[in-house]
Amino acid sequence: MTTMRPKGNIQDKLVNKAVRNIRKGGNQEDPGKSMYQPGVKLDLQRSVLLTQAYRETEGQPMVLRRAKALDKILSSMDLYIQDHERIVGNNVSTPSGLYFGIDMAWRSVRRVVDQEEGKSLLDDAGRKTLDELIAYWDGKAMSDIQQKTFTGEILESWKFENSGAMSWSHWSELGIPDYEKVFKVGVKGLMDQARARLDEIDRTVPPDYVDQKEFLQAVLISMEATLKYAKRYGALALEKAAAATDPEDKARLESIARTCSRVPEHPPQTLQEALQSFFFLHVIRYIEYSTLGIGVRFDKVFGPYLEKDLKNGVLTRDQALELLQLLWVKFHELGLIYSPSLSAIYGGVASLQAITLGGVDENGEDVTNDMTYLVLECAETMRTPEPTIALRYHDGTPRELLSRATDVIKTGIGYPSFFNDKAILPLLKKWDAPLKDSRDYAISGCVYLEIPGKNIARRAYGGIVLPAALYYALNQGKSQFTGKIVGAKTPDPRTFQSADDLMDAYSAQVEFFAKRLCTLENTSQTLYEKYLPRPFYSALLEGCIEQGKESKKFTYPSAVVNLCIMIGPTNVGDSITAVKKVVFDDKKVSMDALLKAMDANWKGYEDIRQLMVNAPKYGNDDDYADAISAQVQTRTAQAMAKAKTRFGLPCRGDGSGLSATYAAGSIIPATPEGRYSGEPFADATLSPVFGMDQNGPTAVLKSASKTSTVDSYNHLMNQKFLPQALEGNMKEVFVDYIRSWGDLGISQIQFNVVDKQTLLAAQEKPEDYPDLLVRVAGYSAYFVDLSKGLQDSIIARTDQSF
Amino acid sequence: MPLQGTVFNIQRFSTHDGPGIRTTVFLKGCPLRCLWCANPESQVLAPQLMTRDIKCTGCGACVEACSRGAIVLSVDHGRIIHRDQCDLCFECVDACLYKALSVAGELKTPESVMETVKRDEVFYRNSGGGVTFSGGEPLVQHDFLYEVLAACRQEGFHTALDTTGHAPPRVLEKILPLADLALFDIKHLDPAQHKILTGVDNKLILENARLAANITRTWFRLPLMGGVNDSEEEISRVAAMAREWGVEKISLLPFHQGGEPKWAQVGLKSPGFVGHTPDDEHVERLAQIIRDNGIVAGIRS
Ligand code: SF4
Ligand code: SF4
Repeated sequence: MTTMRPKGNIQDKLVNKAVRNIRKGGNQEDPGKSMYQPGVKLDLQRSVLLTQAYRETEGQPMVLRRAKALDKILSSMDLYIQDHERIVGNNVSTPSGLYFGIDMAWRSVRRVVDQEEGKSLLDDAGRKTLDELIAYWDGKAMSDIQQKTFTGEILESWKFENSGAMSWSHWSELGIPDYEKVFKVGVKGLMDQARARLDEIDRTVPPDYVDQKEFLQAVLISMEATLKYAKRYGALALEKAAAATDPEDKARLESIARTCSRVPEHPPQTLQEALQSFFFLHVIRYIEYSTLGIGVRFDKVFGPYLEKDLKNGVLTRDQALELLQLLWVKFHELGLIYSPSLSAIYGGVASLQAITLGGVDENGEDVTNDMTYLVLECAETMRTPEPTIALRYHDGTPRELLSRATDVIKTGIGYPSFFNDKAILPLLKKWDAPLKDSRDYAISGCVYLEIPGKNIARRAYGGIVLPAALYYALNQGKSQFTGKIVGAKTPDPRTFQSADDLMDAYSAQVEFFAKRLCTLENTSQTLYEKYLPRPFYSALLEGCIEQGKESKKFTYPSAVVNLCIMIGPTNVGDSITAVKKVVFDDKKVSMDALLKAMDANWKGYEDIRQLMVNAPKYGNDDDYADAISAQVQTRTAQAMAKAKTRFGLPCRGDGSGLSATYAAGSIIPATPEGRYSGEPFADATLSPVFGMDQNGPTAVLKSASKTSTVDSYNHLMNQKFLPQALEGNMKEVFVDYIRSWGDLGISQIQFNVVDKQTLLAAQEKPEDYPDLLVRVAGYSAYFVDLSKGLQDSIIARTDQSF
Repeated sequence: MPLQGTVFNIQRFSTHDGPGIRTTVFLKGCPLRCLWCANPESQVLAPQLMTRDIKCTGCGACVEACSRGAIVLSVDHGRIIHRDQCDLCFECVDACLYKALSVAGELKTPESVMETVKRDEVFYRNSGGGVTFSGGEPLVQHDFLYEVLAACRQEGFHTALDTTGHAPPRVLEKILPLADLALFDIKHLDPAQHKILTGVDNKLILENARLAANITRTWFRLPLMGGVNDSEEEISRVAAMAREWGVEKISLLPFHQGGEPKWAQVGLKSPGFVGHTPDDEHVERLAQIIRDNGIVAGIRS
């Protein structure tokens, strides 16, 4: 077996293309650092070929232009096969390239490469090329078209971006293809379906005959281009094999050539073919359109191929593991360029890819198989930031799987994260997804819920900063920057008779901003439909070929469509709780005094701030605080649902705050829970505000369980643990903790294992960490209260656990 | 007046005081005065005023609140409490907005303890956990303890009693039938040493250990101090005793220096005990001795 190993360590092959988080909102915090990893370059080849194709197809129907552009790119882009690779394919022309969707937006990218932050991304020749490309795209890229289109109300909405309460972007679109279907029939089969539909409409001549025809022709062009791309790889592999002197190398290249001659055209027969077929489709999806995410239910889709290969002696388990590790390297290569403002949100991300493991099949049976464990082993050995793993939990999840998952979490990589079928299936039901479909849900990136193969092109189009909505509720909609009214005109808070009045005003603000955001998104969706159709991706979904319709022309018949990111609901919960307790129940501070204190950013009002800080807080299993927090979550969802998508479906929230929770806080003034102006918000929709949970991890889960998953939205919850909590026989306790989380019906959880650095920092600056609890022999103590010697020994033990 | 107990802490997600995920209820009052005591606020039965100077801003609100003039602000030392003048009215605790003052020891009814304890039922069920009573020495408040243990029984919660064993045998006979597990501390086998280290003789404790093992499932817990009670000979003797009495498990809890700040927080002077942490290899050797006696050995748990 060892003879099959590629030379050197597979981990050495990883290139890091993740964008760095050097910003907090608009401000650069870390001026010494570049946004980009050294050595990576902006790859212009796609842009060049796309531009050529656009020039050649002026005046033709858009969907055909897009398909022809894809054909142009896939037929002529540079391909590479690296010396270690067994799975091939790329969306850029070199291993160090960054993808650039010039057809989507170019201005921010231009700014990046012109500034210090991204200077190293292009050489002089590249800059010249970029200038030429921009000369063509100026006015034609989506962001230009959109800005030209905006007038009146929509234009106004666009400007609302400056309110700090909402943000909107073109950037990411996700979506999960129906890989199982493609594997069943091959791309060849999809083309047959498209041809059949073409024949059919020639007979029936539906009212949108031309649209259908053009779309289906575009599908055929895209699929043909896909086959060409695979064949080009096969030829390259053969060419390299002929030149190879090392027999092992030759065999490796010949196996790549064989694989590329079969897939994705035909149904895959082996694991290597299945992985290769999948990866081709994955990268082509990225090439066609500015895309993020993966979402495939990895064990469910690939497990059968692994089983078959092991049974037939095609592969050993070690060889299969190596294939996965090599695929992980490929995932890592898929970096893209981000605008500076997006780097504050996506800091640390290359292309936000997540895969899903576990859960149930369409009959409700657990899907765990050998592949589930193999993927965990791959993750444990590779320790890459991407792909993250979403593990679906249900009553039938084997304990052994949870135990293996705990091993992986213990490495400190922060995943797998857990998704609770018990909470999410009812949520999807409420969102009108049929049971059979909802049982197949997967996570494409962060916590984005999608149903593979259904027309749910999940787009993280923007976010609502809920504490900003609260700020506006306390300021009658007036901007913190200009004093102009930019939110809803809610009543003067000095007239509020109870905390309910504040809750109502807050809801009104959420509704106001959600509607603005939806207006913006709905307008853009129609522009995407017109100018950026996706014939390739559409073909991989259910219903597009069948109806002759591009994916943007209809929606999956449920409300699981575009979701908008929610930031800071627990800050709002704690804020309203503190107002209720201090202002209305105890009457210790008047609303007027509170407003003055917050206006002064608590300066000179520390006594008031302490009263607000000492009020009950979410995360302690305190029914007073938890009830208000739960109410904030449901009221927020109700307010948002009043905004509608262009198909008339309610606007839904999502807990995927990324690092935006940190950035979003930077421009929001002080809030009533005691937060200072500019401080970050809680790191997830169900997480307690940092440092406010004082009763340990069981109390946190109990608090979270009081929020209705069905009546709110999709959530995220971060829990921090010391590495000791997962060690030795504590591991079993940790597994029991996860199972209790499952029983409590909380939708999601992920774990941060507190690292040595934090402890060292706490040692260095104890005043910043007065509440960091650690476990010493038989008792718990505040870390800062311990002697240096004991601190050292705990730090040393932390070290040992990794 | 309803029965009340003085509770100084209820710790949820307690994972080292018996099996599974537990809630540990700490009762105040202890007949022992162990030199290394890490919870000095547990020793006396009455509530005490506790300070956390790291949180004190020197705002002076407590000075205003104290009708006895027991608190003064000084330029060099911040807020100083003259405990000899303090009558434990705890007005200052309410006045302090910064949580730099607190009360160690709250009077609670069994119902109020149960209200907290019941909150983690789902975790007990999934982990085979339950409720542990610790201290101090929980047997000091045996009437209260009896009520709460009985209530736990009623709920079907697994119960454990973490005890120094220093109590009249009749108290153990009353309480232990309601405890599913006794976590019995053995500090030293030599009576003279025991007296020096804890302030009391160990004769009663060792007799009670045998009694406990007779009544309920029992584990020994050994705080290990390097050079004091961690010799292989000492551990062999404890293990032999454990085997003879049918004790299932012995937990070795290596000592760590570091409980001192808490002494000052309750206004006491630390006994200044300087111990040594036994090294990991040695502890592992001791664990092996225990295992060789057919007894489960736990390190730090
Ligand atoms: S009230 Fe609290 S913070 Fe102020 S001086 Fe007293 S102890 Fe310190
Ligand atoms: S407890 Fe009462 S007497 Fe003692 S210091 Fe505080 S206020 Fe003064």
